Amino acid sequence: MSLLHSLARALDRVSPAPIAYAHCDIPCGIYDPHHAQLAAHTVVRMVDLINQLEKPGPNATAEQRQEYTNKLTRYIATKEQHSEIAKSELRILWADYFKPDHLKTFPELHDTMWKALKTASKARQEINLQAAEDLLKATNDVASMFWKTKGFETITAKAPYPTERQTVYPKFK
Amino acid sequence: MTAARMFPFTRFRVEDESMRPTLEPGDYVFVNRWAYRFQSTKRGDLVVVRDPEASERFLVKRVSDATGPTEVQLAGDNRIASRDSRAFGPVPLERIVGKVWIRLKR
Repeated sequence: MSLLHSLARALDRVSPAPIAYAHCDIPCGIYDPHHAQLAAHTVVRMVDLINQLEKPGPNATAEQRQEYTNKLTRYIATKEQHSEIAKSELRILWADYFKPDHLKTFPELHDTMWKALKTASKARQEINLQAAEDLLKATNDVASMFWKTKGFETITAKAPYPTERQTVYPKFK
Repeated sequence: MTAARMFPFTRFRVEDESMRPTLEPGDYVFVNRWAYRFQSTKRGDLVVVRDPEASERFLVKRVSDATGPTEVQLAGDNRIASRDSRAFGPVPLERIVGKVWIRLKR
């Protein structure tokens, strides 16, 4: 921060500077692809948990079956919810955030979004790790486009969650 | 503001992202309100204007084309995140507050 900038800020306390907007849109929306990415991670995690769940054998007791059914149902319910959250978040970005101008920079935008939504439906319908991974990849692709439109570079790093999948993050300055 | 009008320079604080990387949110610009008394607008000038869509608000944009003697086209440097003349058309010169004279980076 420069000295002159600090002076201007100090001056703001006496007489606030009017704001000149380098304006994008009104309502100036608050958008972030992270919600979609997070929901996709949850879907991946639920498929992992379902696959790790030990199935009750022929001699399992009623309690063991009940416990299995309870866990499986909870994982499936969460997978349902979060596939839908991912779809909803993707739709918001697609319909509200991205503008026709973005298409000039990212001609693949519509196709990526459309496939992402289809993949989310597949991940919701099935216990399918590949579909869940594809959904996460699709949200990452959307995140890279999103952050580029905001003027930020992105990095791809291992997520600090049990899923540990590669995730796109913005490189804030 | 009346007393300030005696003096050509006025400062604005920048908000939003359409002028990245030239201007970042939080930067200050000092604007010369008399700049266009002695010269005409040129393509490439950074200007503060009254928003054609909301007069009480100021915008900072770049002149992308000095289309005629009475109006200019404005654009944001960050084209893919800017609402500008592509959306609201050319802007009458009388809406220009002044030319950006100094930028203070955050």
